Amino acid sequence: MRILLLEDDAQLGPWITNGLREEGHVVDHFDDGKDALIAAMGQDFDLLILDRMVPGLDGLAVLKSLRASKDSTPALFLTALGEVEARVEGFEAGGDDYLTKPFAFAELSARVGALGRRREGADPTKTTQTVLRHSDLTLDLLARTCTRQGQQIDLMAKEIKLLEYLMRRPGRLVTRTMLLEQVWDMSFDPTTSVVETHISRLRAKIDKPFDVALLRTRRGEGYVFGA
Amino acid sequence: MSPCCARGVGKATSLVHRWVHQLRWLRRSSTLRLAALLSGIFALGFVVAIFVALTLGERANERRLDATLSTIALGGAIADTRLDSAALILRPLDDLDGLPDPFVRVVSRGGGVVRLRDDLMRSDTWRVLVAQDGAGSPVFAAVPIEENEDAQELLAQILWSTAGVVVVVTLAIGLWAGLIAQRRLLRINATLGQLSAGDLTARTGLTRSKDDLDDIAKTLDQTAAELERLVAQTRHLSASIAHDLRTPLARLRAQLEMLPDGEERGVALEEASRLSDIFDTIMRVARIEAGQGRDGFEEVPLAELAEDLAETFGPVVEDENKALTLDVKAPAVVQGDRGMLVQAIANLIQNALVHGGDQITLFAHGRTIGVADNGAGVDPAAFADIVKPMVRLDAARSTHGSGLGLALVRAVTDRHGAQLELAVNDPQGLKVAINFTHL
Repeated sequence: MRILLLEDDAQLGPWITNGLREEGHVVDHFDDGKDALIAAMGQDFDLLILDRMVPGLDGLAVLKSLRASKDSTPALFLTALGEVEARVEGFEAGGDDYLTKPFAFAELSARVGALGRRREGADPTKTTQTVLRHSDLTLDLLARTCTRQGQQIDLMAKEIKLLEYLMRRPGRLVTRTMLLEQVWDMSFDPTTSVVETHISRLRAKIDKPFDVALLRTRRGEGYVFGA
Repeated sequence: MSPCCARGVGKATSLVHRWVHQLRWLRRSSTLRLAALLSGIFALGFVVAIFVALTLGERANERRLDATLSTIALGGAIADTRLDSAALILRPLDDLDGLPDPFVRVVSRGGGVVRLRDDLMRSDTWRVLVAQDGAGSPVFAAVPIEENEDAQELLAQILWSTAGVVVVVTLAIGLWAGLIAQRRLLRINATLGQLSAGDLTARTGLTRSKDDLDDIAKTLDQTAAELERLVAQTRHLSASIAHDLRTPLARLRAQLEMLPDGEERGVALEEASRLSDIFDTIMRVARIEAGQGRDGFEEVPLAELAEDLAETFGPVVEDENKALTLDVKAPAVVQGDRGMLVQAIANLIQNALVHGGDQITLFAHGRTIGVADNGAGVDPAAFADIVKPMVRLDAARSTHGSGLGLALVRAVTDRHGAQLELAVNDPQGLKVAINFTHL
């Protein structure tokens, strides 16, 4: 994936650039908003990673200019402003995701993966499909039923939402923060192990009674469903 | 914005509403009340004064007439002779021929005023007096007084209408002054309402500088401007603090992640995470405390909120070998920020999980939502301390986690204009409730 990174911090910039390159992405790193805007207008990127507060032109202004010229490249904001208002501002400017500093690289990587695939077209997260299937597991969102190997599995409302989120992103790393934000609508960390607990309950229902595990934990990073 | 088709109806309704509101205000207008009181006193004074003046005037008139009549009778000296003319009747007492009954009655009473239905010698009102003539014989004399009466009536009319005009004018001036003052008071009141609802750009915009109301409006505008400036400053400051602290934390995280894998790296990363979590909570409490108004408020059904939270946290509590019970009774719908309320209740559940017993109850009773446990509880004497804003949390901080939990609950409660209620749970434990009943 070709990624534009706008980050002025002398330490974070190279860290993110190197990390993404190690994962096989091509990264153009800028530490000035104006340069980044010129590059983004002249070339075709798959993803923009923009810091909110940089000299010259801040990330918000850069994205607003791009969106005004009908550029729909997915954009992820990096910011030290974690407040809800700042988050809303980011989404209103046309941002697709918002990550607050400090963050784990795995978190950034997972979100980059999610946004990149959205760019590639056939985005399973956006389909209106109401029956999700993965190998022998079926989740019917309208009937609110779940079966595996023909066996009926009873799921709670939140578990259905959680499983839906995971099944729409097969083979992709999904972090704890992503789940809190998307499934529980919590932009804060409730300190208690909400995600871990619900994942383990879900696992006990969809994986434990069967021989192949579909939901895997990647230690310290997050969860991967299928593949 | 309202759809254009509904605008006309809405406008009319709001106009009627405004008038009703204005009338209600009018009744409470101090200027108008004063004017009404003064008019009342005026009116009473007029009534007494006019009544006294008219009565005294009439009496004096009568005395003067009687004196004249008795002089005429004395100068008469005409036993058994009538001395009637167009403006005088003077006869011996027993010569009552041709006089109407009321006249005769007054003569037999010794004198007074006679009011006749039909004119007698072109006058319907007469003053009669029984006296003696020059020879000492009893006679009666009478003069027409219709013109006097008419003059008296005219005087009364003039006095009464003047009084009426004065009272009406006083009331009108009062109403006018009341309306003018009321318009400004409404403006001041509306501005105060907007300010308390969080719109710090609200101003009265009254620039006149003639009286005390103008002074109040001006001071209000200055205070609002100062408030707006301070809030903007606080917001800017907290954004700067967030940026200045999160950036080094992000660098620390980056450097730790670059270290080779190992147990120490894991521990360090965990500590770094905890550090940024605490910082996040502090910033969140500060933001909630600094925030104002009802921006982002929506209708939150407490039952649904409680059920949602119970489903989310129930399994977490169960994994700790404790039980979370949902207790919903006649739950209300309140105005609030759902995200903040979720955060507050999540904090209460977390607190109960750490300090409470094995039975945790999440309840929604009427306009109250909260969490109770059956643990050791808190000494009621310490209730005031554990909810104090973060400046005074040092003691609580040492007891668990970041210790900012209740400070956040308190900030969320204050932001909603709700009451944070702490009580001893029956039979033991702590019961914390957010009560949305406005006092």
